[in-house]
Amino acid sequence: MSQPSLTLPTPGQQEGRNRRLLELLGAAAIAATFLFLVLTQPADIAGGLGSVSALVALGGFLLGAALLIVGVLPTLPTSTVVLMPVALVLNIVLGQLMGTSGLPFYFDAIGTVLIAVLAGPAAGAATGALSSIVWSFINPTVLPFAAGAALIGFLAGTAARYGLFRRFYLAPVAGFATGILAGVVSAPIAAFVFGGTSGAGTGAIVSAFRAMGDTLLAAITKQALISDPMDKAIVFAIAAMLVYALPRRTTFQFPFVRRCNVLAGKKPVQKDS
Amino acid sequence: MVPRLNPLTLLAAAAAVLVMTTAASSWAVSLTVASGAVALAAALGRARRVLLAGGAILAPFWLSLLVMHGLFYPEGRTVLAGWGPARVTAEGIGFAFDMGLRTSAFVLVLMLFSFSVRVPDLVAALATLRLPPQFGYVLASTLMLAPIIAVRLHTVRQAQESRGLVVEKGLGSRLKAVRLQMVPLVLGLVHDAGTRAQALDARGFRRAGPRTSYREVHDSAAQRFFRWAILLLAGAAVVLRIVASASGGGPA
Repeated sequence: MSQPSLTLPTPGQQEGRNRRLLELLGAAAIAATFLFLVLTQPADIAGGLGSVSALVALGGFLLGAALLIVGVLPTLPTSTVVLMPVALVLNIVLGQLMGTSGLPFYFDAIGTVLIAVLAGPAAGAATGALSSIVWSFINPTVLPFAAGAALIGFLAGTAARYGLFRRFYLAPVAGFATGILAGVVSAPIAAFVFGGTSGAGTGAIVSAFRAMGDTLLAAITKQALISDPMDKAIVFAIAAMLVYALPRRTTFQFPFVRRCNVLAGKKPVQKDS
Repeated sequence: MVPRLNPLTLLAAAAAVLVMTTAASSWAVSLTVASGAVALAAALGRARRVLLAGGAILAPFWLSLLVMHGLFYPEGRTVLAGWGPARVTAEGIGFAFDMGLRTSAFVLVLMLFSFSVRVPDLVAALATLRLPPQFGYVLASTLMLAPIIAVRLHTVRQAQESRGLVVEKGLGSRLKAVRLQMVPLVLGLVHDAGTRAQALDARGFRRAGPRTSYREVHDSAAQRFFRWAILLLAGAAVVLRIVASASGGGPA
């Protein structure tokens, strides 16, 4: 009996290049959509619903998120893919835990940041985008924010890559900067797709800026600049705390952590490789 | 009735209806789609679940929209009432209703989809689209892990309480309680994931190429035709809207 080879084929170089192309296309789609929305908005929103803007925002951001997922997922090691559902559930469950503890924050990115620190920017971006898509089965309004969530994961991974998680006090600083960018990218979605924000507190802040005569996009962007950096600074600090609470044996299983020296402290003695 | 339909057909129908609603950008269409979703849910016997879940999301959203645009809408000209800086304008109320109805249609249609589709069927159907199999794994695994993790969190809390954890009023005590529950929860979950990764790797999880599936998802030529047709229709609606807004010298 002639049998095919029992070992798994290694992915070719061509395939790797295609994946990389998909990632770049996804990032380009998100950036182009954002630029289009910001450049065309003054003429659009005053006229009413801004239907074209809403279509572009939904289409461009979701396409970008989908390309990122399809490009990144097959390249990730199984240990990272298996951690993703855990991260997504953490995004939801820890958010609920915070809700019952009565603290005025919504931490819906802790799992995303955790993966980004352990497995790098690409894994973080894919986790963020997937988080929005899976969560939309329970709450559809988070679906259009997939691109913003992907950006948070990417930036968290980049911060880890350049050693910002090696000092505990630098993590919240990186979170603050991430919050600024993520808030600015998510604001056009809130403005053009939903015409506002869903929370009572954020709604009050937007109303205050509107009362001063700002356009809707400007008001929502300013509101995001108030809420998001604070929220992300805390989320990054919590993720850093969790990563350092993990046993070193576990964190150093991740190639990204070993290669880029993400965490402070010495490497454990390596038996293999 | 619904289980006979391919999940991809449901997905394509939901997506196309939402694109067309957004492109139409009229409160009448949004209202029709939203009530259509509720009526369909009622016909399938799922009206209560869809309305409860949708209402929990939509009620605060509507409240926020009405306060935001009902009281503060600087572009509004027709003032109905005013108290200092707050002015109720006809345009503001109209905008709040337009946006609220469109979002209601969005939420209700997607809620109906997620309550009608069976996740294992959806995962099997997605695999035929040549999406990476990891996508199906993450989707299904998350939706199935959630209740398991909730039970685990409960266990962790009981264990910590038996060791003397008492949550008091102060912020410090609450933060400490959250930390005492989160750290063991995350440690356990990450450890489990490592074990699962080895088991999956041993079974060729990362293997590229075709896979066999134990689950046969029903599909037919008519459904395939319907999917293409409705997606083309949605594309046509988008093109029409862009042409209309470009030739009208501005947004409609």
